[in-house]
Amino acid sequence: MVRLGSAGAEVTRQRVVTLLRHVVRAFSCFRPMNLSLRPASRATATTAVLAVACLAWAGCVTVDEPSRAAPRTPAVSEPAPTPTPPAPSAADRAMAKAERDRVLHAYRAATEALRAGDFAAAKAKLDEAIVRIGGIIANDADAARARSLFSAESTKTFIGEPYERVMAYYYRGMLYWRDGEIDNARACFRSGQVIDSDPNAKQHDADYVLLDYLEGLATAKLGGDGSDAVKRAQARLSSRAVLPNPNLTANVLVFAEYGYGPRKVAAGPHGEQLRFVADESPSRSARLLLDEGRRIVPLPSYDDLGFQATTRGGRVMDHILGNKAVFKTGANAVGDLAFAGSVIAADESRRRKRENKDNDAADAAAVGLGVVGLIGKIASAAANPVADTRQWDALPQHLSFAALQLAPGDYMGKLEFLDRDGAVLAQRTQPLRISVQSGGRDTVVFLSEL
Amino acid sequence: MSLPSRFFLVGFTAGTAFLSGCATDAGVRQPSGVPVTEMRPDERGFVAGTGIESQDLVSVTDKMARSILGIPQIARAQTPPSVVLDPVVNNTRFPINKDIFLTRLRTQLNSKAAGQVSFIDRELMKSLERERDLKRNGQVTASADPNVVEFAGADYFLTGKLDGMTTKTSAGMSDYVLYSFRLTDARTSRIVWEDVAEIKKQGLEDAAYR
Repeated sequence: MVRLGSAGAEVTRQRVVTLLRHVVRAFSCFRPMNLSLRPASRATATTAVLAVACLAWAGCVTVDEPSRAAPRTPAVSEPAPTPTPPAPSAADRAMAKAERDRVLHAYRAATEALRAGDFAAAKAKLDEAIVRIGGIIANDADAARARSLFSAESTKTFIGEPYERVMAYYYRGMLYWRDGEIDNARACFRSGQVIDSDPNAKQHDADYVLLDYLEGLATAKLGGDGSDAVKRAQARLSSRAVLPNPNLTANVLVFAEYGYGPRKVAAGPHGEQLRFVADESPSRSARLLLDEGRRIVPLPSYDDLGFQATTRGGRVMDHILGNKAVFKTGANAVGDLAFAGSVIAADESRRRKRENKDNDAADAAAVGLGVVGLIGKIASAAANPVADTRQWDALPQHLSFAALQLAPGDYMGKLEFLDRDGAVLAQRTQPLRISVQSGGRDTVVFLSEL
Repeated sequence: MSLPSRFFLVGFTAGTAFLSGCATDAGVRQPSGVPVTEMRPDERGFVAGTGIESQDLVSVTDKMARSILGIPQIARAQTPPSVVLDPVVNNTRFPINKDIFLTRLRTQLNSKAAGQVSFIDRELMKSLERERDLKRNGQVTASADPNVVEFAGADYFLTGKLDGMTTKTSAGMSDYVLYSFRLTDARTSRIVWEDVAEIKKQGLEDAAYR
């Protein structure tokens, strides 16, 4: 309750009363009323305005945030009401953020471990990520918050865009193969293809060449018929290159990667559009040289992650972010218009005052429109349509594969990368050593330029 | 209505209408997604489902254990038949710990069969052979003649296979998994028992992830 005691306050009170009178008069055009603003009526009008304002703001909450609590189970007696939890501390917020980014950290740690040759650590991190990305996230409070008007998309739990999730399965499949679990490797390659599938974008639906090829090779190695998958892979590759026929006697599988993967950027007037920057890397191809260069194994690019990132099609979330951006722009425009109206009303008030006419109504309109303008500006500033650009930034651009038949033993060689003209990028050449193990298990070699 | 009132009416109405239209999810069907629900395999879902989880493992191995114990080759055997477990083949799109199926099946049979069936531990074969060789060489003591072959041969092989089918549409994703297990006579190669379990799951992700 505002106490108005001074003369200035009396003027202000008069203006508020006038404002309310205008509100009532404005509404009376929809429902004719004859109200005189007695104290009780003022209270009614104030309540009405507050109610309308509350309703207006409530309209901004489009989806109720689901409760984190577990579903209630029938109980013999009602439990005592739990006290309201305290507001989250800075440490709690930091923990929540770390939890939201857990998959991202697992992705990054996995690639670091892979490239350092620590395959056990890579497996653990990839499994940690796959537990999250392999499920279906529904009724999630963080996701609901990310969809809400005033929260950024990055408040949701990160699982990555499809090309990032596919790579988690691709790497895990490679490691399963390394452990001799070819059927689980095949499962990973299949899951990768499912993640890349988009019922609304048939043209580039599940179009990873290597995932199909490796599925076919794995099936053939398991005694099945993998020819359909290999044919699909060749069809996707079209005339760019020719895939080698699956060699069932091959005991050395080379997984190579080179170039720098796509980067996410937030484009659009408010950063609401998720875009991918896929620069062409200097390394366009690679080859493996063994036996002092007498044996050359080509490693052409079968899959391009930049292409995969940019051809997957739109997201539903893009639609939501677009709506947020429209609101942000619209609220700002409403604010501008209201402020302009406020200025005009104030000018009208001054004019009427000069002419010794009643200017209360104009004053009230100036104040009212100023309030509306302020609300519009605040709402516009608070709306957060920025797209989530958290990214697995250690991914390569090109994926390649080769299968060799080598007798058990150690082989020295080197990995060369070639530019667009086929010239060797000498400074990128890597010496390598391949140890082919005996026994029935395939030797998996992971080669990375990064 | 005076001019200022008109100003106010227009501004207030526009502001209210605008704020009440902050529907960021407008046009998005089921923005919160649909939680995964388990269905009967013969039930038509609005989409098709998702991965292999612990409850599937429990229900499938329970069913298989009950089924195996009912066959005459086990229930009416004069001496408990020896069974070797062969690894399960995963033909789904879900990487799984395959051993866990056979481990639970073995423990269920061992706990419920009360000696009706015995399992041969081939996982420890290398260790067992090494121990036998040590005994034969006199490097360690032996409670029986180590030169007598006592490693049991298999009467039956028990194995399984997981097949899957995935459907992905704009309405969501579904996965159907067929769990099939069989018992093969080691002498005749005849399949003496086979049973299947089917599980289908479906779900739709939150719009924030679509």
